[in-house]
Amino acid sequence: MEPVLTAAEARVLEHKAAQEDTANRSGRKGFFTDTTLCIGCKACEVACKQWNQLPDDGLLFTGMSYDNTVTLGASTWRHVAFIERPVALSNQDAGAFSWLFSSDVCKHCVRAGCLESCPTGAIVRTEFDSVYVQPDICNGCGYCVVNCPFGVIDRREGDGRAWKCTLCYDRLKENMEPACAKACPTDSIKFGDLEELRETATARVARLHEQGVGEAYLYGADAASQPGTEGLNAFFLLVDKPEAYNLPPDPVVPTRKVKDAWMSFALATVGMMAVAVGSVLVSERMRP
Amino acid sequence: MTMKTGGRIRYADSIDPVTTDGRDVDTAIATLDGEGAQQRAHSDDEHLKRLAPAPWDRVPAITDTDTTYYDRPVLKPSVWSVDIPIYYFLGGTAGAALTMGASIQLLSPPGRHPMRRLSELCHWTGIIGSTAGAAFLIHDLGRPSRFLYMMRVFRPTSPMNMGAWILGGAAPTAIATGLFLNRGGVLGVLGEAAGYASGLFGAALAGYTGVLVSNSAIPIWQEARRWVPAMFVASSGSAAASVIAMFSSDERSCRAIRIFGTAARVAEIAATRQVERAASAIPKVAEPLRRGRPAILWKAASTLTLASLAFSLAPIRGRKKTIAAGLLGAAGSLCLRFAVHYLSNASARDPRASFHQQRARTAEQHRLQEHDYAG
Repeated sequence: MEPVLTAAEARVLEHKAAQEDTANRSGRKGFFTDTTLCIGCKACEVACKQWNQLPDDGLLFTGMSYDNTVTLGASTWRHVAFIERPVALSNQDAGAFSWLFSSDVCKHCVRAGCLESCPTGAIVRTEFDSVYVQPDICNGCGYCVVNCPFGVIDRREGDGRAWKCTLCYDRLKENMEPACAKACPTDSIKFGDLEELRETATARVARLHEQGVGEAYLYGADAASQPGTEGLNAFFLLVDKPEAYNLPPDPVVPTRKVKDAWMSFALATVGMMAVAVGSVLVSERMRP
Repeated sequence: MTMKTGGRIRYADSIDPVTTDGRDVDTAIATLDGEGAQQRAHSDDEHLKRLAPAPWDRVPAITDTDTTYYDRPVLKPSVWSVDIPIYYFLGGTAGAALTMGASIQLLSPPGRHPMRRLSELCHWTGIIGSTAGAAFLIHDLGRPSRFLYMMRVFRPTSPMNMGAWILGGAAPTAIATGLFLNRGGVLGVLGEAAGYASGLFGAALAGYTGVLVSNSAIPIWQEARRWVPAMFVASSGSAAASVIAMFSSDERSCRAIRIFGTAARVAEIAATRQVERAASAIPKVAEPLRRGRPAILWKAASTLTLASLAFSLAPIRGRKKTIAAGLLGAAGSLCLRFAVHYLSNASARDPRASFHQQRARTAEQHRLQEHDYAG
């Protein structure tokens, strides 16, 4: 026979169950994008658009290899870059050529420029440690756009609000992996707990080095390798300079250096107040 | 209406209107509740214009020394319209005017003291500048009706949030000062207090926008962040002095304003040079200061301010001179704010500016580390 609970006891139990549920479905989650496995199929771009019901960006022919998506933006939350290089990868024998693909995404920085600069608190850190823009709060000031050192977040014309990758917040709440990772046919996009992802990534780099791809390295895997952002929750394995993938070599969240600007502001402001008082005093003395 | 191109019906026009927002979701069988489902998607052409790559002025090539991704920007240019530089100007002018107003208030007794007229002029400049500025600021928002969301948090890491509080303090106190200062009784006391408060808020209003600009990923302002706020404060002072001088008539008021304006203009020119010097540490970062339309505005700003300085100090008397100096000074300040606006976008558009700056920083760190090991 089931025990009979008072309403208060039932509420306590319910609350406890909810807490356990939250604990199970939270923790630091992220992406590890292994660009050496990417085949440039853009399934991630399509899956992202479809799942998140994002509008298209219109049709463009850019002439930039097979990249007609161009860049991440308000309605483009995954972007596959196509890099055609006049050099071969170390373990390849294909003449002086290699074709690199990389699926770019919001990095969900540990210290996020967009979040720290957001004046309304629309941008928040979720229970999955991802950075999330609340569309019902964002007032479209556009300050996050100039504060992202990766040029990820953008405001869509006609909509007026800032948008970016949500790390599929709605899917994570239901214990599903993000749409892009789910759709990736080569598992170039890996989703999971950050600690596990880092282990996988380190092992992968070691394996690639064994196979002769000495140029493989991790981009933004931890605070030590990218102090400016204190590490990225969506990090990458690259085989060329970050610049080749349009990634900044040493990104710094602007707020890390803003102290200098506030200092300049403080000195100049005090200076102006002194000059204002001084000019009134001096004009008194100068009476002809 | 059906649009035809070359006799063929465009795909977008051939399907059901509910699905033509670029989502291709048939709402008869699906619901729109995805994370991006509420994103409004009209005005595609505008969107495409921003996205479409400009024709290359030279074929992008991957080289060992200067790699980029097809010369595409690494940063996003700001989405701000010209409302923003106009706000920098109006808000800054108002801020410096309020500071001047409070200083006069501090040093001249309440009542019919002649300098009190000048302080009133300062306060009304503050009222007009801060309210008009706020209107421009709100107009630039993607969702203007949500302006007050700026004040749902207090966030010191966001200079824009701090600015909302500063403006939210400066405008009402300025209005209270304008209404009640130099009145008798309780209202007069209230006006006195509001005057001092508006002076403090005003001083912050004159320069916080410089911090706002410095706190961005844009290479030129990252590099010059130690001088940009000072430049903004000085430029605000110069503009305020210009505007007030044009409307003040008595000898002593003009003298006080001229001293304030001269100091501000000299400071503005000096700070501008310092910004240029700081940015020039990385040649690629300073490039927009030397070439293109933003560079013209940048140089014009200094020239106008210099001309204003020359006029105001010239040993001639008369209103025409004061008006000329005032117009030139205000134009110089306005020009500087527009230069900042366009320089931001020019700098954000150049991936090499970011790359060179960050590589130089890394190289410097390595050099210092090696120095440590050697020592």
